[in-house]
Amino acid sequence: MKKIKSISTLFLFAVAFMSIGAVTAQNKYIDKKGKLTFEASEALFEPVKATNESVTVILNTETNEIASLALMKSFRFKNSLMEEHFNENYIESETYPKATFKGKLLNFNSSDLSENETAVAVDGKIELRGKEKQINTSLMISRVDGLIIIKGSFTVSPADFDIEIPSIVKDKIAKEIMVSLDFNLSEK
Amino acid sequence: MKKKKVIILTVILLAIVGSGLVYNYTFNSKHRDIANEEATIALSAEELFSHFQKDELLATTNYLDKVIEIKGEVTSMEEGEVILNGQIQVNFNGQVMANVANGTSLTLKGRCVGYDELLEMVKIDQATITNKEH
Repeated sequence: MKKIKSISTLFLFAVAFMSIGAVTAQNKYIDKKGKLTFEASEALFEPVKATNESVTVILNTETNEIASLALMKSFRFKNSLMEEHFNENYIESETYPKATFKGKLLNFNSSDLSENETAVAVDGKIELRGKEKQINTSLMISRVDGLIIIKGSFTVSPADFDIEIPSIVKDKIAKEIMVSLDFNLSEK
Repeated sequence: MKKKKVIILTVILLAIVGSGLVYNYTFNSKHRDIANEEATIALSAEELFSHFQKDELLATTNYLDKVIEIKGEVTSMEEGEVILNGQIQVNFNGQVMANVANGTSLTLKGRCVGYDELLEMVKIDQATITNKEH
């Protein structure tokens, strides 16, 4: 009896998963050229700032799950030496070539979106350098010409990802790093 | 006495030039010019993609940040980028490029920046077209 029950539960699960799969296929919004900027500048010193203009973002408007991926080598600095140090000494992009975010938009309904920005809470995890960091922040989301536009910013610290800043440059790199994002997602 | 003055002046001058060079190196070093670098490896879009699918760690070691020449077929085109064989996303970084029809065979050169598992594509940036045939 127990066996039959567990099999039927399994079957139910399988059906549920399949139907989720079928539904989600039509509710995907994607941006392949999302913009992500981080800044760790300290006043009086040279700006420590880089932008990645080819960040991938996928939003499922059925489940409200959002996933994003940024390749480290795509972050461009104004100063090439800083870019080199970022890749080689801090991020170690040969070993950890990407950062990912996986999360969920809370109390979000894509059909309620308008051209006016609405604040939406997001809850998720950033993974970078093999470390995970919980992120809870608020995003400004709007819909313009069929595109879902997501903007926002949050702060992280180098210590969150076990990045050691040598004492010689400690004063030149901010303890709090400001990350800002600008995504334009289109329906897939 | 005069000799001493000359030495001091020379030392000061050298110090100024030296610090200028260090400053220039630190703050104005040029970015790599991928378009003018020789490609170190040449392979097809399918080969590059399959290497990343099979063993991402090994492929990262072999290809990350390297200038690669890739041959493939255009499967989609957007502003500033083309997709080769649905497997390689190539970014031209602001470079203006003529419209290429889907199905066009392209050879291009660019820097490999890694594998994007959300899109399931290998990414190339700062690309330039080296050969185009129909």
